[in-house]
Amino acid sequence: MTLELDRLHKTFDDFTALDRISLTVEGSEFVCLLGPSGCGKTTLLRIIAGLLTQDSGRLLLDGKDLSAVPARERGFGIVFQSYSLFPNMTVAENIGYGMRIRKAERAKIAARVAELLELIKLPHLADRLPYQLSGGQQQRVALARAVAVDPRLILLDEPLSALDAKVRADLRVEIRELQRRLGIPTVMVTHDQEEAMMLSDRIVCMNAGRIEQVGAPQDLYLRPATKFVADFMGSSNLLPTDWVRDAMPALMNSRPDGADADYLACLRPEHVRLQPLDAGEARVVDVTFLGNISRTKVAWKGRELMVQTGHVGGVAPGAAVAVSVDAAGCGWVRA
Amino acid sequence: MSIAAVEVAERSGFRLRRAGNDRLLIAAAIALPCLALLIFFVFPLAMMLRRSLVADDGSIGFANYVALARTPGILKATLNSLTLGLATTAVCLVLGFVLAYTMTRTRVPGARIISAVLALPMLAPSLVLGLGLIFLLGRNGLISGMLGKRIDIYGLPGLLIADVLYALPQAVLILKAALAHADARYYDAAEVMGAGRWRQFFDITLPNVKFGLLSAGFVVFTVTITDFGNAAVIGGDYAVLATEIYNQVTGQMKFGIGAVVGLLLLAPTGIAVYIERVAAQRQFGGGAEGAVPPQLSFVPARDVPLSIVTGLATLSVLAVIGVVIYASFMRLWPYRLTFTLKHYDITLSGGYAPLWTSLLVSVVAASVGTFLLFALVYGIRRLPSLPAKIVYLVATMPVGVPGLVLGLSYIFAFNIAGSPLSVLYGSALLLALCNFYHYHTQGFLTMVTGMRAVPPALEEAATCLGSGAGEVLANVIIPVMTPTLISVFFFLFMRSMVTLSAVIFLVTPSLGIAAVSVMRLDEAGFVSQAAAFSTCIMLVVCAAALAMQLALKWLAARGGRR
Ligand SMILES: Nc1ncnc2c1ncn2[C@@H]1O[C@H](COP(=O)(O)OP(=O)(O)O)[C@@H](O)[C@H]1O
Ligand SMILES: [Mg+2]
Repeated sequence: MTLELDRLHKTFDDFTALDRISLTVEGSEFVCLLGPSGCGKTTLLRIIAGLLTQDSGRLLLDGKDLSAVPARERGFGIVFQSYSLFPNMTVAENIGYGMRIRKAERAKIAARVAELLELIKLPHLADRLPYQLSGGQQQRVALARAVAVDPRLILLDEPLSALDAKVRADLRVEIRELQRRLGIPTVMVTHDQEEAMMLSDRIVCMNAGRIEQVGAPQDLYLRPATKFVADFMGSSNLLPTDWVRDAMPALMNSRPDGADADYLACLRPEHVRLQPLDAGEARVVDVTFLGNISRTKVAWKGRELMVQTGHVGGVAPGAAVAVSVDAAGCGWVRA
Repeated sequence: MSIAAVEVAERSGFRLRRAGNDRLLIAAAIALPCLALLIFFVFPLAMMLRRSLVADDGSIGFANYVALARTPGILKATLNSLTLGLATTAVCLVLGFVLAYTMTRTRVPGARIISAVLALPMLAPSLVLGLGLIFLLGRNGLISGMLGKRIDIYGLPGLLIADVLYALPQAVLILKAALAHADARYYDAAEVMGAGRWRQFFDITLPNVKFGLLSAGFVVFTVTITDFGNAAVIGGDYAVLATEIYNQVTGQMKFGIGAVVGLLLLAPTGIAVYIERVAAQRQFGGGAEGAVPPQLSFVPARDVPLSIVTGLATLSVLAVIGVVIYASFMRLWPYRLTFTLKHYDITLSGGYAPLWTSLLVSVVAASVGTFLLFALVYGIRRLPSLPAKIVYLVATMPVGVPGLVLGLSYIFAFNIAGSPLSVLYGSALLLALCNFYHYHTQGFLTMVTGMRAVPPALEEAATCLGSGAGEVLANVIIPVMTPTLISVFFFLFMRSMVTLSAVIFLVTPSLGIAAVSVMRLDEAGFVSQAAAFSTCIMLVVCAAALAMQLALKWLAARGGRR
């Protein structure tokens, strides 16, 4: 299966929600659309589903244009954030709904529903109504309902964000396992970078209706292409060229050509090290204890750097330290 | 004792005194409305139950029930009422659903105009619709004249149309509320799963308004079988229960039979209330926070037929009410259609006096009602949960008691020789109270909703700043509640101006009310004067509706500036 988005454009009145989005989803990969709230993720997902039409651009499934195919004929499965189980149908009826529409035989439907209930570990809840389920259970059922008809593509719109942390973590693992087992290509929308990194084969990082960067989670984290991605994917030190030239000349080797103002060095806190040293030029400003690690803020050469440390003795606010960096861990991003 | 200690003692004494006052205020707020609810709602129904079991000769038993079964005509009237009720309900549900759906789920323009027109029947006594039908389709009807042939509108057909037009707006209101709870995500999910429009309609839309349909059905059915005005005006020979009971009780003084019928008429609403309770328990999904309203689109194959039906229904209501106003200014309907005001010179004895009585009754009902309801809702929040639940239950019960039944029960409670309460019988005050308790539930629920809007944090903050209950009431609760108080006041006023079925049993020759006058004028053959009198009632009620809108707008504007 290949889903191809070609310069999709969507405006609401004067507001550009999607700005020429091009993207290809292939094989049975798990793709996350990641970005802050309001950046157009849902809009993009709804266009893929056929619930919304784009202003311009093409949407191709295995080379065939989908523009004229209504949502109900695309054969996709979808799960929303919450409240999308039909309130008047039992769990089993919800899961079997797609097959009933396709006029499958009763026995076949029953078998498939039983199989899926087993898969989502809720076989005892077949006859409950949605309002009698917890949020996590509802989302499991919604997932089962979406995959019941062997969809060509699964679409998930923030399926976990209405759940509390523990349930969310469990369900995250389950979604991943289910997707792997079924091998159905999946596009999921989320604003949670941790979730995206755990689940995706590829992340599509979006901002203000545009794609900032597409790549494997490691790529986006270690080699962010833009300042936005660097910022959004975990914390980082973003350092201007002239300061780097002076303070960390070793990093200049990897810098792409371009005017000083074009690029910023992106240095993750874990790639900076501190050494307690009386003669050190840097001063510890603040230490935040985070359990297994600490976040230490140091003032050095007129800037503050965020550093991730283990429990180093002698690093306390006011202490003098020496700073060294791991040049290999530094990337350059467009400002 | 040090000075500081004296000060503390004084202050705590002051606190104690004030706490005492607070408790008194709250106790009064609970006791007064509860007592009134007992006397003017629970007591009459209990008396009716008792009376149904006491035969005319004083023996206790089911003699009245037997007598009822043996009364000639009752069986026929009951069957007629059932037929009429079921037919009206069926038509109202289909038509009401179409209208409500058109207004909430399609892009058909004019929803506001439709709402405005549909509000008209509620601003007039029910019999105005019967009257209007007669002007259009009766022996001397406009349309009958144009067609050049006699249409026999009296009897079942006329009653059916009049009752449909009367009950339709109420059905539409309920169904609109039910349909408004849509969540686009159900439809999106179904769409992606491959469901077509009809499938979505039958699998999502209909099941989710199931209880709305049931509840609308029962409201229409009850309104129809207990409506008095249309049966009197356009019923012809088609005897129905409401008029039959009226004749038995006020004509032949058969109170025992009246009590039995009153009790039997509680059954349908009893079932309706039970269903609503079940519905409330199984209230799923609807109105969940974060619900996404569906995107409305224009679908010609669906919207064109819908708008035709909606347009026709709206036009019918408008025509039937409009013709009453029009005819009231015409010299001799339908032969000499020239303008005159002569029908406004009411020749029936008493003239416009009943209108003024109605006005007085309505103002009293609205004032007393608003005050008592506010006190009740204020007090109920400070009750422990079990008593609060009981009071809540009783306060919401009157909706299950048709006006006809309530009016009947007042006879058994207040028309007893020797009882101290009988001084009320024949007074405008009793009419006012009857009207208030007839519409108690709606007012109460509005008030409860309004009270929920009072932020508890604000109240607590005021209390922590040292306000007593009285000050919290004056500074926090009443300002927030003002729009609600206004709405409840005008609601009670307007209902009280037009209702007939409850008070028909309480009017006396010396104490007439407006809607009864219309009926008497019609009976006496002064149809144009009946139209003129109806127009006056509608004028008063419309003025009240307008006053309410203006007051609420003014309040909103003032609130906006603050
Ligand atoms: N139907 C609509 N009409 C107008 N604006 C819309 C509509 N749907 C979404 N938008 C706007 O488009 C932008 C992107 O929305 P959305 O795709 O829902 O964002 P996300 O899912 O990334 O949070 C938002 O600014 C939103 O306000
Ligand atoms: Mg979204």
